Amino acid sequence: MSRALLGIGIVALAGLTVVLAPAHAHAADAAAVKVVVNQLATQYMCQCGCGLTLASCTHGVCGPRDRTLAEIRRMVEGGKTPAEITAALVAQYGEAVLAAPPRRGLNLLAWWGPYAALLAGAVTILLLGAAWTRRPGPQRAASPSALSPEQRRLLDEELRKFDA
Amino acid sequence: MSELGNLSIALAALVSAYGLVAALLGAGLRRADLQHSARNAVYAVFLLLSVASGILLYQALTRDFGNAYVASYSSRDLGFWYTVSVWWAGQAGSLLFWAWLLAGFGAVVVWRQAGYRELMPYIIATVMGVSVFFTLLLAVVSSPFARLAFAPPDGQGLNPLLQNPGMFFHPPTQYLGYVGFTIPFAFAIAAMATKRLDDEWIRATRRWTLASWFFLTLGVLFGMQWAYVELGWGGYWAWDPVENASLLPWLTGTAFLHSVMIQEKRDMLKVWNLVLIVLTFGLVIFGTFLTRSGVLSSVHSFALSSMGPLFFAFIAVILIVSFTLLALRLPWLKSAGDLDSLVSRESSFLFNNLILVGAAFSVFLGTIFPMISEAVRGVKISVGAPFFNQVNVPIGLALLLVMGLCPLLAWRKASLANLSRNFLFPGALGLLTAVGLIVAGLRQPVAVTAFALSAFVTATILLDFHRGAMVRRGHGEPYPLALGRLVLRNRRRYGGYVVHLGVILLFAGMAGSAFSSQQEAVLRPGQTVTINQYTLRYEGISQYPTQSAMVTAATLTVFNGREPIAVMNPQRNIHRGHEEQPMTEVAIRSTMMEDLYVILAGIGEDGTANFKVIVNPLMMWMWIGGVLMSLGTVVAFWPERREALRARARYLVGAEA
Repeated sequence: MSRALLGIGIVALAGLTVVLAPAHAHAADAAAVKVVVNQLATQYMCQCGCGLTLASCTHGVCGPRDRTLAEIRRMVEGGKTPAEITAALVAQYGEAVLAAPPRRGLNLLAWWGPYAALLAGAVTILLLGAAWTRRPGPQRAASPSALSPEQRRLLDEELRKFDA
Repeated sequence: MSELGNLSIALAALVSAYGLVAALLGAGLRRADLQHSARNAVYAVFLLLSVASGILLYQALTRDFGNAYVASYSSRDLGFWYTVSVWWAGQAGSLLFWAWLLAGFGAVVVWRQAGYRELMPYIIATVMGVSVFFTLLLAVVSSPFARLAFAPPDGQGLNPLLQNPGMFFHPPTQYLGYVGFTIPFAFAIAAMATKRLDDEWIRATRRWTLASWFFLTLGVLFGMQWAYVELGWGGYWAWDPVENASLLPWLTGTAFLHSVMIQEKRDMLKVWNLVLIVLTFGLVIFGTFLTRSGVLSSVHSFALSSMGPLFFAFIAVILIVSFTLLALRLPWLKSAGDLDSLVSRESSFLFNNLILVGAAFSVFLGTIFPMISEAVRGVKISVGAPFFNQVNVPIGLALLLVMGLCPLLAWRKASLANLSRNFLFPGALGLLTAVGLIVAGLRQPVAVTAFALSAFVTATILLDFHRGAMVRRGHGEPYPLALGRLVLRNRRRYGGYVVHLGVILLFAGMAGSAFSSQQEAVLRPGQTVTINQYTLRYEGISQYPTQSAMVTAATLTVFNGREPIAVMNPQRNIHRGHEEQPMTEVAIRSTMMEDLYVILAGIGEDGTANFKVIVNPLMMWMWIGGVLMSLGTVVAFWPERREALRARARYLVGAEA
């Protein structure tokens, strides 16, 4: 009897799994699509003129944003890769739809210009610094190393009183 | 009334021009009477612009909708304080506010700093020169006193986005910061004109610089807070051109604040300091230009106009005059000091400046790059948050590192003993933090680095506080008293440390953004949505009218596990006069660990409501960081009689450390 019940239970569970699996898979797919669409929404500019990404467009009601998001959702559901989605959106709206300019041509100036400037600045500081450290100057003669031990002791004493 | 306002502005423009000429002639011809007259001109401009501002406020408060500006930015149902904010809500009013602040600051300098006799004529000439530009804009291009053919019964009302306490404080503090930097700039021009190029002009403007930096910091923070609670997208910084414009002078101003210390203590970086203050003032005008010209689209651009070319020309004049003067004075700008070692506080300040100016360059380039691309390639492109985040995050982390290294390196030359004494424990703590976070499962390298560096910098600062207090305790003071007196006796240094602690909290809050999560859900009453440990149950919707809007509010009960912890009411409001654009009013539940941020994104006709729920970790840390930054600046700002002597003594002793 118990074996029979166990058998029925297993069959019922298997049946239930078969019946429910597509629904679960569908829900999981929908959630995955949402995650991908939300992520992609940070990569493209809203076309309403707000100057922000689709994810951060501040308008309560925004036709261009909702249309573009729907297009992206359709493409994600259709199995398109992010690169293909980007190509489709650029073909439709132009390069301005990309929230970050592609890394080629003149755009490399924006991507690497700051680092090049920082590197040039660092090299300049190091070269100038090396030159300055070698330069004998009036201040060096008056540096504390010129103080006698007695003067140093007096200075320390004065500073202690001053700090107290 | 409006005629009197227009007359006041026209007279202010004329008197500003007179003040400029009289000051220059007075200095050139050594005519004391002309110099005296120029000083009086500054007071007169302030008086005239105060009259104009008073009239505008009176017209706004008495609902004089015959004034086109008042009709455009206010309405009968607007409360008292928001009516006051009409002064800076639109283009003409905010330009008047700018000019009024400038004249006020000019009057304070003439009154309180009259001792700088040689510099004063050129300071007045600079302030009046800037005043000529703004008062002419007000008189010719954008008057706040233009009249309508007939007075409408009611005004169009203030943009609902601006009806937020953050927006009441953001523009005035931002402008106080912007305009404040005019004074150090004017002193710098005067120093170059008179060849008095020692650190006199820097000492004379130290507190102006600090105050301007303080207000600019507050302005940026209020702007962030406003964006967070009002724009309703879950973030606080979108790298929008106008946001960037407020950050640019802040970055160069911060570099200036630090580099002047080198000139004061070591008589170095004279040229660099002049370049920095010129750049900062140029960027202040650039910021005003971006906000007002409409040349780049922005969510913060509440006014568009054709005054872009005028601002552009003014920036060109500022840069040409300043850098020509600087080039002519180069022979007088030789540094007396030398570097003793590349491993010293001086050189770390140089790197601090490099990174801050590098960050400013990066933000500037990104902001104007769409214009460059269009001009060179003829192709419109966008430069948004993903670009700025990728390019600026490494620069920000480098800045954090230098912030930890800079204050604890000895002046002149850091010995191995100095390095190990100051950095061994903080370095180990930073490393331990990184290892601990990785073991705990954190995998984002940027966030791990940011938290580890934050721990390192915090340890360096607290260690220095502790050592100072222990020295005082050696003289018999109890520890808390020793700590308090330590700060009071060296406000500039320890105030600066408090600012640094605030910056660390700000960085930690930003690093927390890497872990934010969000959920979207369409719910019927009784249904729930879960995000992290929170479950939100939608209870229903209610609608009610207020004086200026029809409010639609959703009610959500928030559970942490099974325990109800809050009721939240995100809204979607339709303001009178702005029916085409419903405004979201987000609901936020803040704790020290995270913000639960709920947006009512839409309401379906079938009784459903569309919610976007976001969990933003460590947001509160950012705002506390902002408060600490402000407090630290106040401490550093507070006058200290023996400051100069102490700094000199510490410098001498520091070399021995």
